[in-house]
Amino acid sequence: MPTNSGAYGENDATDKKTTGTAGNETAADNTRSTGANGDAANANGADTAANLGTEANNTASTDETLNAHVKGGSSGNGGKPGNKKKGWIWAVVAVVVVVALIVAFVVVRSNQKASNTAAEGHKADSVTVGLKLAPTNLDIRNQSGSSLDQLLVGNVYEGLVARDSENKVVPGLAKSWEKSANGTSYTFHLNKGMTFSNGDKLDADDVAWSINELMTKHYHDSESLMNFKSVTATDADTVKLDLTAPYDNLLWVLACRPGLVFDKDANYDMKTQAVGSGPYTVAKFVPDDSITLKANPRYWGAHKAKTATIVLRYFADDNAAVNALKSGDVQVLAPVTENLAAPFVKDSAHYRVAAGDDTDKYVLAMNSKGAKTSDVRVRQAIRYAIDHKQLIASRGGADKPLGGPIPSLDPGYEDLTGLYPHNVAKAKALMKEAGYTPDHPLELRLTYANTYGTELGDQLRSQLKPIGIDLKVDVVEFSTWLQDVLKNKDYDLSLVDHNESHDFSQWVNDEYYYNYSNQKVKDYYNQAMAASSDSQRDALLAKAARVVSEDAPADWLFNYRITTAMKTGVSGFPLNLNQTLLPLYNVTYRTSVK
Amino acid sequence: MTRNNEHSASETVRTNNAPANMGTKASSKFTVVLRSIWRRGEGKFALIVLALWLAVSLLSLVWTPKSLWATDGYHVWAKPSAAHWLGTDGTGADVFSWLMAGARTNLFIAVLAVVFAGALGILLMSAMVSRSSALSNVSVVAVDALISIPTVLIALILAVPMGASVVVIIIACGIGYGLNLARIARPQALLAANSDYVASALSYGASGFSVIWHHILPNAMPTIMVQLSLSAGTAVLAESGLTYLGVGVPSGVPSWGHSLATSVKFINVYPLTVLWPGLIVTIVVVALNVFGDVLRDVIDPVTNPELREV
Repeated sequence: MPTNSGAYGENDATDKKTTGTAGNETAADNTRSTGANGDAANANGADTAANLGTEANNTASTDETLNAHVKGGSSGNGGKPGNKKKGWIWAVVAVVVVVALIVAFVVVRSNQKASNTAAEGHKADSVTVGLKLAPTNLDIRNQSGSSLDQLLVGNVYEGLVARDSENKVVPGLAKSWEKSANGTSYTFHLNKGMTFSNGDKLDADDVAWSINELMTKHYHDSESLMNFKSVTATDADTVKLDLTAPYDNLLWVLACRPGLVFDKDANYDMKTQAVGSGPYTVAKFVPDDSITLKANPRYWGAHKAKTATIVLRYFADDNAAVNALKSGDVQVLAPVTENLAAPFVKDSAHYRVAAGDDTDKYVLAMNSKGAKTSDVRVRQAIRYAIDHKQLIASRGGADKPLGGPIPSLDPGYEDLTGLYPHNVAKAKALMKEAGYTPDHPLELRLTYANTYGTELGDQLRSQLKPIGIDLKVDVVEFSTWLQDVLKNKDYDLSLVDHNESHDFSQWVNDEYYYNYSNQKVKDYYNQAMAASSDSQRDALLAKAARVVSEDAPADWLFNYRITTAMKTGVSGFPLNLNQTLLPLYNVTYRTSVK
Repeated sequence: MTRNNEHSASETVRTNNAPANMGTKASSKFTVVLRSIWRRGEGKFALIVLALWLAVSLLSLVWTPKSLWATDGYHVWAKPSAAHWLGTDGTGADVFSWLMAGARTNLFIAVLAVVFAGALGILLMSAMVSRSSALSNVSVVAVDALISIPTVLIALILAVPMGASVVVIIIACGIGYGLNLARIARPQALLAANSDYVASALSYGASGFSVIWHHILPNAMPTIMVQLSLSAGTAVLAESGLTYLGVGVPSGVPSWGHSLATSVKFINVYPLTVLWPGLIVTIVVVALNVFGDVLRDVIDPVTNPELREV
């Protein structure tokens, strides 16, 4: 665990707690805006209120009349008509007040709406995006969690290099770079005229300082910058990075957190503020709830923000998120559970639903040193028995089958789904060989976190039953999974979404919870990391991945794809990888002219 | 009509009480109570629902229309059809079969929670009316203090060492409702404890235990019975609530709370799947509450003249 940056576990422990209060507030907001949106609803509401008002006053006046009548017995009839008239006036006044209040409310609400979404046919000044996992603070150097990468990398902070939506390395602050022949020295040539949002100049000194700070203070993810020796600014626009040994993953790592460049002269609280060189600045940060980004007026580069204000709102509850999109409180929702997006798919005139690729691998790990799962026949039988297509269909159909540890957006991908095709007869034969039949089943325990829902466990139980496996499913708190499975390796089967990219190293780590160890895989991997060309590296990684898959230390249920739902008129929103990499500069929202 | 009812009622009594070896007086009392409940419209409703619940629970042990584990990923969230009477859930399993099987889990939980609550409640009630002032004072204060802890909190605390489990629900409900029961039954028990016949029984040398068993308990019994039947309804609700929170019935065990918890996420898209378990829980809880209300009326000889005749 400590050496591995690739565990979902580590990442999202902090991400999951969006507070209940936030959810409640959202719900309240929704109700309010729905009320204000529906004109008819309002009209009715006003009518009812008016009626109620009149009625109430009528009752009052009746009472008064009665009172007057009683009194009238002694003081004469004169007061009676006057009282009636007064009651009538009061009724009118009450109705007017109620109607005025409602009209005022509606006008105020619709004004707010108008300012949010701008007039029809125009580009909106502000776009609100609904997301799921909220960052607890903004300290990207210390705080783990993919929500921070999603929020800050490429938007507020920029790296020496960047990655595109295909997960490939592209120029960032450095416009070009060279690698020495032996692969241990990299020279980066920076862009000219770069500034931070506070006006400070960004030059090679800031780059060298940032990476040195990372390594000396062991900031988050510093361990992924392996074989690091030194980094120096040779002149204002050139940075030289030396390694102790070749490390092929270096550029990709620099496109993530370790490559981010901070202002060495700035002094600010990194937990609540951010001073970067990106197209946006953080204008307002409400922990666990929302973040407001404003275009950086001093931005130096080509990715100038197209929308002046972008608000990111976090919804822990999926239904609240869907309601927010329905009511127009957000214009984009990512991710949305596929089955929940069905109404938006149907209403294609107003919404667009699309899926993007990601590197999330739903890994059904089978403890290679477990008492029952150390038998390779059992593990292979499980892989043959699982009907991946059916699992994917039940989730809505967007996810992709995955036959090995490397997904399509990572180097070394190869379609390995043919290694263990769905074949119940073969699975049964293997189980029989291992000594188990449906009448004399093998009892296995599947442990996974409750964030993934109970469906997958129930489906696996039913798919493994016919081959002679009695699967007991333990759906536990995430912290329990971290303790029992990740730390103590006390499990038969485990299910977790490993969402990190470039995380093949977990298969060469003997200490990792898979309990998997194969010298051949390690050799291939080490050769790949020292490879002289990308194609050579990819070939070696593919070989390693194939060996891992053949050994069946796990089954890859599917490669999760992110479903994003948005209003028609939203454009430029990234679909691929948008839970870890969400460049927002291109996002615009244009309401259609009726 | 009446004859038929009497016939069936007495039959029930015979089968129910045969092994208990109770006197004819007790069994005729039971018949009268049952008949009185049946004669009221709402009582009829409650009895029918409870009998159905019991019957479905037993039936589900041997037969459900579809196997619980017959999942079909290609037909998830299906609408009701001839093949799946109430449609399918998120794994493609038959909702009707799961609800049938859920009936037995909920019955099991309700019965055990009530038994546990009854035992605890009677024990505490006895302590609260004890002749030892130290014991009665301490137990009164203890019950008053403990009653302020919500059942959900007890369940959440229990779930830390035990994980999601049926036992958690039973213990949490048992403790919560047991305390309530003791508190509510105490005035009745106190009235009996201070009565002349208890004083005379004691003067004849009757033991404290014997007084509680022969004099105090029978006096408090109507209150206890009513309270227990209300508790059974609350236990069904608690099962749903706790399972939704993830500390109730573990994954893979059919229960109404499980069916609710797995479908409620999709209430916007597939409202029907949430409706069925919700409806069943509502009907059963209403039946149990109505049963408690009717029981209150018919079990007391003061309000039910028929009972005075036996």
